[in-house]
Amino acid sequence: MSEMWINMGPQHPMTHGLWNLRVRIDGERILDVDPEMGYLHRGIEKISEDRHYNEVITLMDRTCYVAGIAWEHLYVQAAEKALGIAPTERSDWIRMMSEEFQRLASHIMWYAAFVQDLGLMSPFLYGMRDRDLILDLFQSYTGGRLTYEYMRVGGVRNDVPEGFTHRAREVLDWLEPRFVEYDRLCMGSDIFRRRCDDLGVLKANDCVRLGVTGPMLRSAGSKRDLRKDRPYSRYSQVEFDVATADSADVTGRYLVRMEEMRQSVRILRQVLDWLDSHPGPVLADHLPRWLGAPYAPIGREAYLLKRNYPKGVGLSAIEEPHGEACAYVVNEGGEHPYRVKFRSPVFANLSAAHHYLVGYHVADIPPIMGSVDVCVGEVDR
Amino acid sequence: MAAEVDTKKRAQGEGDQGLIVKPMYTAARQFMKSLVRPSTIVYPFERLEDPKFRGEVRVASGKPIGVGEVWDNYRGVHALNINTCISCNLCAFSCPDLCIDMVTVPGGDPKHPKKCPEIDYGKCSYCGFCSDACPEGCLTMTTRYELSVTKRSDMVYSPQKMFDQFQRKLPMNPIRLARPANEDAILLDAPLCIGCNACSRDCPTNCITMLDIPKGTPKPGEKPAKRIWKEPVINDSDCVRCGTCISVCPKECLFWGTHT
Amino acid sequence: MALTTLWDVAYFLASALLTLVGRVIPPLAAPLSNGDVIWGLSALVFGAILLAASMINTIMLIWFERKMLGRFMDRRGAMHVGYAGLLQNFADGLKLFRKNTFKPREADELGFYAGPIAYMVTSLLMFGVLPISTGWSDGSLPLSMLLALVIFSFAPLFIFISAWSSNNKYSLMGGMRSAAQMIAYEVPILLAVVAVVLVSGSFDLNTIVAEQQNYWFWGPLVLAMVVFAIGMLAEMERIPFDLPEAEAELVEGWNTEYGGMLFAFFMLADYLRALAGSFLIVLLFLGGWTLPTYVPSALTTFPLAGIFWFLVKTYAVFGVFVWIRAALPRVRTDQLLRIGWMRMIPLSLAAVVLAAALVLVKCLPVFGCIPSMGG
Repeated sequence: MSEMWINMGPQHPMTHGLWNLRVRIDGERILDVDPEMGYLHRGIEKISEDRHYNEVITLMDRTCYVAGIAWEHLYVQAAEKALGIAPTERSDWIRMMSEEFQRLASHIMWYAAFVQDLGLMSPFLYGMRDRDLILDLFQSYTGGRLTYEYMRVGGVRNDVPEGFTHRAREVLDWLEPRFVEYDRLCMGSDIFRRRCDDLGVLKANDCVRLGVTGPMLRSAGSKRDLRKDRPYSRYSQVEFDVATADSADVTGRYLVRMEEMRQSVRILRQVLDWLDSHPGPVLADHLPRWLGAPYAPIGREAYLLKRNYPKGVGLSAIEEPHGEACAYVVNEGGEHPYRVKFRSPVFANLSAAHHYLVGYHVADIPPIMGSVDVCVGEVDR
Repeated sequence: MAAEVDTKKRAQGEGDQGLIVKPMYTAARQFMKSLVRPSTIVYPFERLEDPKFRGEVRVASGKPIGVGEVWDNYRGVHALNINTCISCNLCAFSCPDLCIDMVTVPGGDPKHPKKCPEIDYGKCSYCGFCSDACPEGCLTMTTRYELSVTKRSDMVYSPQKMFDQFQRKLPMNPIRLARPANEDAILLDAPLCIGCNACSRDCPTNCITMLDIPKGTPKPGEKPAKRIWKEPVINDSDCVRCGTCISVCPKECLFWGTHT
Repeated sequence: MALTTLWDVAYFLASALLTLVGRVIPPLAAPLSNGDVIWGLSALVFGAILLAASMINTIMLIWFERKMLGRFMDRRGAMHVGYAGLLQNFADGLKLFRKNTFKPREADELGFYAGPIAYMVTSLLMFGVLPISTGWSDGSLPLSMLLALVIFSFAPLFIFISAWSSNNKYSLMGGMRSAAQMIAYEVPILLAVVAVVLVSGSFDLNTIVAEQQNYWFWGPLVLAMVVFAIGMLAEMERIPFDLPEAEAELVEGWNTEYGGMLFAFFMLADYLRALAGSFLIVLLFLGGWTLPTYVPSALTTFPLAGIFWFLVKTYAVFGVFVWIRAALPRVRTDQLLRIGWMRMIPLSLAAVVLAAALVLVKCLPVFGCIPSMGG
């Protein structure tokens, strides 16, 4: 068979979203790859310029559909910096809890999809089953299962309901033995190890050069985690370890994510204990009216001009489940942000596809791309 | 570091042993567990939000799996109590998707028709901003989530249809946001006011009264004003901060601010 | 005449039909009572019964897999159409039947349509050869096992034809993989069968089962059985060896471009082959329709007991395949071929040597004695 280009995508079981991986192959060997993104572009950054500060939060849930609340957290932090508002302490802890739950949900979702790419269906359903419990928890305090619209500039919408921490601990107790099960199905399987070892190798210096972050970077042995390196929210007050592996391959990424889930459970237990003993307000006072919902926004902007608005810019970076995400909000005075810009970790991770795909087999594309944990919503925004 | 050791140990501990014994064993164990009752919830017959079923849901194997009693906060289809709606427009203003239209419903007087929200669920994103913004608590979100229809026009819920939702007494989202203590109030830039009465006329809560103001003593050389001068006085405790008065003011003399 | 076997039933039906026709139209009575005519018609009836039985069994097999896989995955599987979803697959088949069958513009018409049909037909052919109970054939096929394996190995040809003629890169790759895989695993399968032939001394499946009255072959020939089962997994293209239709990278492999009834043919033929593979394992290693002698005779003497036990064993074997599917990911092409050529063939050769040693020794303490060569 001579060389040929094949299009994997935009609709392809491997892509997990809407993007196109053009692959030049010779038989089963990959000679060249060319990722094409942009099929899911919704102009979220541009739409944000026409929304109140709080209304942008509804877009954040749609940015990444498996890690909505992490993106809410990211944006809300940047907006708070731009507006000069500080969240209350309790709301900050609740945000941290939400982000860790989201990390769990996202990693479990990743696990389910990744193992299914290898042809193994049952972990997919185990993963979906266990993720559903976390979504249940989200529903019990945010009101949504996937699009939470929970955080607000200056805090969160509401406090967690009574008995929530108890239920959350139940779920964590259920999840921990499941991780052992997950490991048995994957790392305990000889076929899995043979498929994934030494696959999609991307060394640490290449990761840094290409802007690859998150579990991919940590799997190469680099201890880079924004939660530790630049603690935001209240991460400096909880104990956890940064999960790393040194093989820089698919197995390493698997191990890093599994360990991160365990660390998330560890963080969550501390956060739940804190929440039990520290009641308090969850929304800051002195919120300017022109933030928009939940307080009544105003109809016509022209009448606002008499106000003396604070101006500023806000930059925030968080360790999103997929990697390091960054938000930049420019507040030029006015009820809408002047400019919102996001840095998507998956975009960088995907763009480096050439460096970790070429030389492997066609059959290796699903596990390698699966180990990247693609979420096209945030790639294209 | 501890974590590094952990991942490596796990890699060596779980791999390289017994070919495929462990996954086969794990699958078989799950098979035995779910032989009697798989964890799935048979959706159209069993519903998580069904109060009878909630008690059976457990975070455990061999039972319908789920976190029980999570349903009350769910943001589903809206319910509207037409009787208490004050036509303040706040829901329509707060909607990020612009899916709420204020339409006339019977009940108002001809001069000031009563307007209630009509929601197009084809656009709605269920963010709940409208029900958060509703000052009277008449627009709430219920736990109903099934609204598949065969025609696109059926997705537009008229106020009457949402009132039907209200009368079905579905569990409502109980979370009501407390209004902030030091909320902005509506202030008057008095020298600009022409006393046109528009704000008072359109105020949904009737919290604006037009009061006579004493005619200032004219400066020497000026003629005294001839007409009776009135200006709005706003009762802050009744005001729901909808901003209607600001929108209708022809001279832009009302604005948001804090009392000093 | 006692209706003990399916052939007897077919013969009875055919002769009854012919007698009836002879009564109604007297001039035809004499020619129709000719033995050859009765035999021919009963063969037709036999074939019709077999076709219906194998199709229904295949559909039941799909149902069985869906339900069992559901439990492995902590869910329920099909459950709405019919009791416990028994009729779900009939409904699915009906849906596929109603669907429009379309052909890509650049596809080769002959190959595109002929491939799935030939694949289906050859898969069905197998059930004419595989005996399910005593008296299935009259012994006129002394090489029935070889014939079954030959029919079994037709498949890569037709898969490749349909893959290539559908003019799709994914299909082509799937077809290539399928051909390479099936050819690689033919060899260990045949070598494993040689072990069975050495011990049983016959190529006739009826004889092979008859030889297992004393002891089932899986005991002494466990190595051969493992090799055969793994080879069969590859031949059936089931997880972990389903890379020709590896969903994740090749969409659906060689049947990407097929829809409607042609896809249903592929689907059905796949499961027909899975059924046939399970049949073969039961026939060669698990004693076919026989039960051990210490089983109470009440269990073996009820009507159609042979068929019943045969099907029970078949479904058990298939259940193991489902279990494997629930627990293992799929391997890679090069790994698959490496396993085939470098692990399976030496193992099967070892199995042959072991079988030869067994024939020399003749008696084993646990398993009993094997009969002399030639039965």
